[in-house]
Formats: sequence, C-alpha cells, structure tokens
Amino acid sequence: MKIKYIQHTKDVSQYSELSLLKRSDKTDVVFVGYGLFILSMVLISYLLGVLGWLPFTADDMDMDLMMALPGTGSHILGTDFLGRDMLTRLILGIQAYFLPGLLAIVVALGLGTFMGVLSGYRGGYAETVITYINNVTDSLPRLVLILLVVAAFKPDIYIIMFVVGLTNAPAVASLVKDKITFLKQKNFLEASVALGLSTRTIIFKHILWYNCRTLLIIQATLGMAEAILIETSLSYLGFGVQEPTPSWGNMIQAGANYMMRGDFWPSTAPALAILLTVLGFHLLGDGLNNILEGKRRK
Amino acid sequence: MADNILEVSDLKKHFVVRKGIFPGMSEKQNIPAVDGISFSIKKGETLGLVGESGCGKTTTGKAIMGLNDITSGAITFNGNQIANLTAKEFKPYRKDIQMIFQDLDAALNPKMQIGDLIKEAVVVHDPGLSKEEIQQKVLKLLDLVNLKKSQISNYPTELSGGEKRRVGLARTLAMEPKFIVADEPTSALDVSIQAQVVNLLLDLQQKLDLTFLFISHDLPLVELVSHNVGVMYLGKIVEMGPSAKVAKQPRHPYTAILWSSIVGGDTSRGLKEDARSTADWQVYDHSSTSRGCKFAPRCPVFAAKAEPSECSSVMPVLSDAGDGHLVACHFPLNN
Amino acid sequence: MSTNPLIKIEDLHTFFYSKAKQAFIRAVDGISMEVPRGKTLGIVGESGSGKSITMMSVLGLISAGPGVIRGKVIYDNGRIKKNLLQGLDDFVDLQEHDGTIMQVDKDLYGWQQHSEQLMKNIRGNEISIIFQNPKAAFNPFTVIGEQIAEMVLLHTRINDPVAAKAKALYWLERVKMDAPEVRYYNYPGALSGGMAQRAMVAMALASEPALLIADEPTTGLDATIQAKVLQLLAEIKADLGITIMIISHDIGVISSLSDYVAVMYGGTVLEYGSAKDVLSTAYEKKHPYAKALLASIPGLENIEKNGARLKAIKGEVLDTIRVVEGCKFASRCDCMTDSVKHKCNTQQPPLEDIGGGHKIRCWLYQ
Repeated sequence: MKIKYIQHTKDVSQYSELSLLKRSDKTDVVFVGYGLFILSMVLISYLLGVLGWLPFTADDMDMDLMMALPGTGSHILGTDFLGRDMLTRLILGIQAYFLPGLLAIVVALGLGTFMGVLSGYRGGYAETVITYINNVTDSLPRLVLILLVVAAFKPDIYIIMFVVGLTNAPAVASLVKDKITFLKQKNFLEASVALGLSTRTIIFKHILWYNCRTLLIIQATLGMAEAILIETSLSYLGFGVQEPTPSWGNMIQAGANYMMRGDFWPSTAPALAILLTVLGFHLLGDGLNNILEGKRRK
Repeated sequence: MADNILEVSDLKKHFVVRKGIFPGMSEKQNIPAVDGISFSIKKGETLGLVGESGCGKTTTGKAIMGLNDITSGAITFNGNQIANLTAKEFKPYRKDIQMIFQDLDAALNPKMQIGDLIKEAVVVHDPGLSKEEIQQKVLKLLDLVNLKKSQISNYPTELSGGEKRRVGLARTLAMEPKFIVADEPTSALDVSIQAQVVNLLLDLQQKLDLTFLFISHDLPLVELVSHNVGVMYLGKIVEMGPSAKVAKQPRHPYTAILWSSIVGGDTSRGLKEDARSTADWQVYDHSSTSRGCKFAPRCPVFAAKAEPSECSSVMPVLSDAGDGHLVACHFPLNN
Repeated sequence: MSTNPLIKIEDLHTFFYSKAKQAFIRAVDGISMEVPRGKTLGIVGESGSGKSITMMSVLGLISAGPGVIRGKVIYDNGRIKKNLLQGLDDFVDLQEHDGTIMQVDKDLYGWQQHSEQLMKNIRGNEISIIFQNPKAAFNPFTVIGEQIAEMVLLHTRINDPVAAKAKALYWLERVKMDAPEVRYYNYPGALSGGMAQRAMVAMALASEPALLIADEPTTGLDATIQAKVLQLLAEIKADLGITIMIISHDIGVISSLSDYVAVMYGGTVLEYGSAKDVLSTAYEKKHPYAKALLASIPGLENIEKNGARLKAIKGEVLDTIRVVEGCKFASRCDCMTDSVKHKCNTQQPPLEDIGGGHKIRCWLYQ
C-alpha cells in the first residue's frame, strides 16, 4: 500500500488560513455537493409544484401514450399506466412529504433539544427519566406505532409525521445531552457560571448556538431522509396519500401491478427518485458532519 | 477583623455517594472531602493551600466560588455570608470573586474567537458600554495579560498553553474582581511558561491590589507566591502559618515529608532521617473510621513510637505553636 | 564485554504529516546521543521538544502512522549489534524544496513489515518501556500477575507456567509490592496509582531487558508517591545494573536518577553532558536555554528571595511546524551577544564538545 502526503504551502504558518474546502477530505466535498444538489432540486421542484408551473397536471391522461419510456414526445420522463406525465407526478409527489417532513423535523429538534438541555444541563431526575423514555422509544417498532396512530385517527400524514417527530426526539435529546456532557468535561460551562453569565446565555449562546448548531443541522437532513422513507412506505401500504393524488410511495405501489407484464418504468422511476433523494440527504448529513465537526478517527 | 477580605470558619463539605440503582434503597457513603477547616485572608495578600490530590483543596475553592453547596460552616466575604446562596443571591458577589481554573480550556468555548470571549466578559460586567468602549477595554485587557492585538481573531485551539491561560485571566480580570481563587494555575503549563504566568499573577496582584487563594500541589511555588500557607491532608488543615515559617521550619510530619519528597530540591529542612523510606506507599482512605489523627497510618513519628499513643485515639486540633504558626499534631517536630 | 554504548543515536530525524495542518512536523530534527551501558540517560524537555518521539523512534513505534524516521540507531549489547533503522529509507521517497519537505511517498506496508523484522527480538526482549499511564499498559480484564507471567514466558527462557508464576511473584516482590501473592490476583483497576506504577515496572523487568525506557514515569503521581517510585527505580538500577533512558519534563525527576542528561528543545539536543554538570547552576558553561530553565523553577534553591519573582523565559515554546533558520532558541534567548547575533538568527550551531564530553549547541561556545 502506497501513501502520499503533500504539503501545499511552503510557508506553513498560514495553514490556518487554508479554506475549509481545501482542508476537507475530497470525498466529503463531493458528498456534500451531491447532497446540496439534491436539496436544491427538491426545493425547486416543490416550489414549481406549489406555483403550478408544470407542463401537465397530475391527472392529465394521454390515452395514446401509456407506459411511455423517458423522452417520448413531450414527456421527458415518460408516462405511467394511465398515460399521466411521470415528471409532473414525481414533482407533485414531493408535496406529500415535504411539509409533513418539516413538521417532523421541527418537532424532533425542538422537543429533543429541550429534553437534551434539561437532562444534560440540569441532570438529576430529569436525566434518569429522559434516558428511560429514550430506551422505551428505541425498543418500540416505529411502523407499528405509526399504524396504531393511523388506526386511532384517520390516515392524516401530518399526524403521522408529528408522531415520527415525537419518536425521534429522544434520539436528538441524547445527542444534545452527550454534547453537553462532553462540554461539561472541558468545564468551560462551570467557568461561565463563575464569570456570572446568566443561565439563558450559557444555554442558548454557548451550548446551542456555538456547539450544537452543526449537530442539529445534520439531524435535520437525516430527519428529512427518514420522513421520505416513512411517507413512501405508508403510501405504498395504502395508509398515506391516496390515489389519484401522487406520492412516490403510491406510485411505486400502483406501478408494481404492471411489473409482471414487463412495464417496469412506472414503479422504477419513483423508486429511483427515493433512492437518489434519500441518499442525497444522508450524504449531505455525513459529509457536513465530517467537514464541520472533524472526522472521528479510530 | 476589618481587614480580612475572606473568612472561612469550620467549613465542611461531605459528598454523598450512592450505591445501588433505586434512590430509596441505595446505600449511602459519606465522603468528607473538606472536614472542618478555618482560615482567613487579608486584603491584598495570598493564602496558599497545598496538598496532594484528593485532599479537598479544590473543593474548598469551589465552595468559596459558590459552585458547590457546603454541608456546614460559614464563608464570609467582606462581612457578608456567602455560603449556600442561590444563584440570584450570589450574583452581587460574582464580580468580586473570580476563579482561575486548572484546566486550560476551561472558560474558553472552543468555537469562539479570543476577542469575543473577552468581549463577553466585559459586557457581563458592564452591560451599558458602547461598542467602542467595549473594544477599548478588550484591548486594554489584552495588554494587561501580555497578549498581542493580532490574536484577537484566533480560536482557542490555535493558542499555546500559556496564551490560553492568559486569555482566561483576561476574562477573569474583565470582571474587576477583588478576590481570585487560583486553582493550580500553572500545573498544565511548561516549566518555562510557568514562570511567566506566576510573574504575571504577582504583577497583577501589585497593580490591582488583588487577593488570592492560591491552590497548588507544588510546595516551592506556593512558598514563593503566598504570604501564608495552609497544608491540607484528607480534608483538614494540618499546618498553617507564614510561608517562610512553614517552608523553613515545618512542624507537622506531613509537611516535612512533602518537602523531602521534592526531587532534586533541598532536603535539609525535612525530617532528620530520610522520610522517603518511612512514609508509606499507601495514600489515603476517606473510609477510615479511626477517631485519631488521619495521618497516623503514614506518620513516621507515630511509627517510631512503639507503644499506643494518643495519635490513634484523639484527633489533634490546629493550635498555635508560636508566632502564628498553627499545627495540628500531638508531637510536632522541633526544627 | 565491549565498551561500546548500548544505544547510539546518530543524526535521527523524525517527521510526521499533520492532516489537520497539511504540513510536515519536524518532531525530531537531527539528534545524536548515546546511552552508555549500565548508566542512565535523562532526556529533559518541554512539550513539543521531541523527547517522547525520540523514544518512540528508537522503539520503531513510528511505523504505523504517516511518520518517517531517518538516521541511525545502533543497538549493541555485545551479542547483537544492529542498526534498528537499517534500510527503512528504501520504503520512502522524499521530495524536498529549499530544505522544506514538500511531498512524501511511503510504502506503508513494506515499511511496517521491515520495521517489525528489525525490531524482532529487540522490543520486549532487549528494550522494555514504562509509560506515563500505567493502567493503560495492562489489560483491564486479566489479573496483573498473569500478565507479568505472560511476559516471562514470552521473552525469557522460562517455558514452564509454574516457574513463570514464581518469577512473576519474584518481580512483584522486587518492586516492593506488599503481599505479592494477593496482588498477583488483583485486576489493574483495583490498584492505586503508585501501585499500578510498580506493577508496570515489574512487568517491564519481567522480560529481563538490557535497556529500560521510562517515559514520564511519575507524571500525575502525588509528590510523596513520585519520590517512592524514583527511589525504587534507583534501587533497581543499582541492583540489576540495568541501563535506563528516562524521559521527563521535570528536571527534578531527571536529576534524581540520571548519570547523563540531554536537554532537548524544538526537536534538537541543545546540551548533553554528565548530569552533575548540566543540571547544576554552579557549573558555568551552559546553554542559555538550560541556564534559563534551571533558573525558572522554584524550589531548586534559586528563587530570587523577597523580590519574589521567578526568572522567566520570554516567548512561547517552539512550534515544530515552522522551519527555523538558525538556532531554535534564538527568538527566546537573552544571552545573545552582538558578535554572534547574526549567526544565531541565520545558522544552526553544531553540537560542539566543549571539553570532557560536555556538548553544547550554541554559537557562544564555538
């Protein structure tokens, strides 16, 4: 195994002025670049969908062009089994998870941060209780819980995502708690108390703003990835968004009926969309973590 | 006495360690980290507290800072009782009492620039300042602790140990304190930097009329910086007096052993025989139930006395052995 | 018995690649010293002086990372004589530009293989080491006695487990463990700091090495325990006639054990000589750094009494990333005279013998 080390600048006293980009691992930069690309695609597509700037509507059926492959006529990504434009439906499918996903993220981060600060900074009984809650939510099968909620209420994606947020909160809480415990070891928090800073300043400025912000951003990207997976699985099972409103999950499900006939495209296109998008959010989170927080070495 | 800025009397801090999972059923063990100590510090002077790890010197410092509640006793600062106050009640004293932490990174949020770190302390002390006044004060503080102006935009990780220590000091001084608890301020520094920091502390004491509680395990260093020295062993002060006296004529066998343990140094002021061979390897045991002197199991004087003596049954009290030199020993050394 | 030194280090260079800083750190920058048989060499220096890296280079412990060692370390115990760094250079391709290393290609696997080959029968058998953190040296889930016995089986001619146990008990007793039979069955976690340190000394001695390297053996111990550990090492040295290399930032520790002392700074040796001369304030011919260092320590009988100030050395400890032209200590030196000033700032002085084997790297003595 050959390894190569290069010193970029002769005047090494300037190493700290090297840009973040140059100091980072190249693969991480590629990951984050891809993740940002996917993120912007999702955002643009969502806006296009909301504003209605699309070539077709979700229900426009082209009876002459069913199961068309990409590039057929004016259908850039082809059509499905009813001759509906695939690109339009994929873009509109984003609406199925985007806002609900944001809700899940807000709930998970907000509640998780609150719990984390409570258990990490205050400690004592709060810490014990929150640790137990974390253990309980960890041991509950997520999907079963969601199906319970669906059974109890109606299959409303916002309620489901609220529950997803709730169940994710303990995980965020334990991350924040670990971070605070780590900071406490460096005991600059104690020093801040001794300096006479108010508890609010210490928590919001020193803990959350300076030391937890990257962690929370990364959790948000991973939360979006998870929201996509949960929404699509539910729609696939028929509990989420219902036909004819498009969602990547029910598109796969509906298309799957035609797979056996050799018409793979209607279900493969949304599946690919899920794969690329979820991968994008994961790589974004991972890459950001490595670049901003520094890679964990063995 | 009016000129005592800080008085501590019969301070006790017992930590309770629980064994077991459930709060109600667990067994409690009492650890007397600080077990009834008294001292006072005059304005502008330095009291050195010296002892080995686990003797309770840091706990004492944190109790004075209001970072620890105490079990019993009293801490009086400028005539006001400051022990066991709530954060709000303690607030008026925060500006006057400050602490230098042993850990170099303490006080320094790793993600903040040096300038912001100092600025923050300035703003806390004086929220009404304008932007320019704050900037000027930050520069003045940097100058006071011998840091360069250009270092204002550095992050703590880019600084050396001595520089980090000085940034911490600048933050402390921004509060314009009257009393500083210095907890092992140089133990994490290189030898050549230690001298710089010690000199800086001494200069600042002169310039700003500061009072120090100087906590360290380094006896010669404490002797150098302190007016008075208290030697702690297992939560108790075993010897206290003017630093020259404690250094030149230690009366307690433990102090003598500490002096003779200093490698490469002068061993003449220790015990007559080589104390290193008589002092036990064993360190401490808070769980000992003996009512006698806590140092007895390691004490060469006790070991030399064959018959049972009061050392193992009666706890010695800190009493004057002449000229303000206090010692807690039944058989103090005569040097 | 030959009279050659047990270990002779010639022009040793060790550098690392720091990924965070994207630059090469010259941790050891051309040092030469020797450890005479049966004597003790003390290496004293501040953080970043390269003292620990020197030790790791001698033991070949640099190979795993992105480090490069050049130079010679000749080990000679009368039976074995070899250069512990022989041929390691073949696995490295180095590109320099105006004295600055710009690029290093290293065959990591080949380097490691070769280094292991060189160290075979040396590390553990001939050279043992005591670390700063004794508990880290033990497996926390095995009793200490068995770990010592394992060393005996591995590195000595004893092959019988019963005899190995007896030997382990002998070593435990040797390091003044109270009740060795009981301590044999103690887990490392049950030992206090001083006891763990003694157990590690016992383990290091169990392989009956010719050279014992002690890296900061008493750092973090309380003063009274430190004194006991040093006393123990001194006794072992006297009894076994073992050669010791002791590394510490604490001049007191170094002075209590060493016959010879090397003062390191910024990866180079600034002064080398007998402990008596190097560490005595009375001895006049001294490197300015050593002189200032001695003067800055309270308790070594050089406090300026009543003036109550220490003699401080100005500036900061040298950052080994930067390339220094001239003397490494020049920026902090107070002794520079006008006649040598130019030389000090532009040219590194050689380590020159000023008589009686006392070597100083300073233009003032050339």
